[in-house]
Amino acid sequence: MEKQTKSAREILQDYRGKKIRIMEVCGTHTHEIFRLGIRGLLSPDIQLISGPGCPVCVTPVDFIDEAVYLALEKGVTICTFGDLVRVPGTKMSLAGARARGAAVKVVYSPMDAVDYAAGHPDTQVCFLSVGFETTTPSSCLAVQKAKQEGLQNFTILTANKTMPSAYEAMKDAADFYLYPGHVHAITGTKDCLDMLDKGVSGVVAGFTGKEILTALAVGVAKAQKGEPFFVNCYPRVVTEKGSPAAQKLVAEMMEPCDARWRGIGVLKDSGVKLRPQWGDYDARVKFDIKGIESRENPACRCGDVLQGKCSPSDCRVFGKGCTPEHPVGACMVSGEGACSAFYLYGGII
Amino acid sequence: MCVGLPARIVGIDEDGTALVDASGAKRRVSAALLEDLEPGDYVMVHAGAAIARITDEDSHETEQLMDQLMIEI
Ligand code: SF4
Repeated sequence: MEKQTKSAREILQDYRGKKIRIMEVCGTHTHEIFRLGIRGLLSPDIQLISGPGCPVCVTPVDFIDEAVYLALEKGVTICTFGDLVRVPGTKMSLAGARARGAAVKVVYSPMDAVDYAAGHPDTQVCFLSVGFETTTPSSCLAVQKAKQEGLQNFTILTANKTMPSAYEAMKDAADFYLYPGHVHAITGTKDCLDMLDKGVSGVVAGFTGKEILTALAVGVAKAQKGEPFFVNCYPRVVTEKGSPAAQKLVAEMMEPCDARWRGIGVLKDSGVKLRPQWGDYDARVKFDIKGIESRENPACRCGDVLQGKCSPSDCRVFGKGCTPEHPVGACMVSGEGACSAFYLYGGII
Repeated sequence: MCVGLPARIVGIDEDGTALVDASGAKRRVSAALLEDLEPGDYVMVHAGAAIARITDEDSHETEQLMDQLMIEI
């Protein structure tokens, strides 16, 4: 029997028909799709929307204000992933605070922040714990390590978020999701199957060019049938169960809380924070942070961009007042942000 | 910040960390999130921890998915 050989690329190029909208949830997908020129390959009837899956982009302005407060008013050394340093707060970013004398260190992992605290016992050190299910276990491991080492100068400021509420909140923006592979490496495919039960379609995708193209093609082929679907297109990393050890660790140390997503608002139970018994390691508890008034820049349309309601180039300050060197909103800061990716790769949509 | 790095386990220590080789760069990462890791295993590293095993090549994986799709459509 002769094998049919339509490639993923042909499926995506040749599609004609009702417009198919695909939301890539993960910022790394957004970035890779631009870098590899995948948008240029797609049929005009396929639209990609860059969703809310870059933790830096959805970190609200009040979180930056809290970190600036800790650094400037409480003399705490802030350890953070580099991307957060230039995210604008109400008055200033952490880079601005650093220019005013604050200590802000860039680290590659929460564990590095613990090591820094161990080496500087006279300094209070706070790690800015942002991220989704993929990063949260590492923050928990760091707090555990600090406890094991008997450190009294290490805290985390949490803005950890969980994806299912975002999937729920955004479900009408697209015909199917390109689910973030590394979130589901931890959580397994249960959340995607729950969404399927609610009639929401999606594919889990890996991150190489082949994986992204294949996942898009599988989704486009399935979407044409009109039935809700879910396919795990990244089985070499994502399993049904995910990582039970990581899930158990987070469940033991953290509890659900309402969380604010920049530009989207507060989503119920969409975040996690340390349980009360870990209060000594929670910067909000230890330093009693209260009463900070925050305000997002009214010009910034990150919220609409993240929800697929507009494209970055629809924002009137895009590329003018707002560039990667001088970001107005968070989506322009991180390489994974939709505005930054549009800017760097020429705004081809 | 969300980028995962594929890496090969070089050695496991008793303190729950692993030495990994990510395209030639050696790093120490937490091995606490995965059970029964052994030297030679491939893992995905994220924020200083090995978060998942890698069980196949992307080419093989995508070929299988496409074959499956072609049977269905
Ligand atoms: S271009 Fe800048 S100000 Fe406009 S939505 Fe994007 S990040 Fe916000």
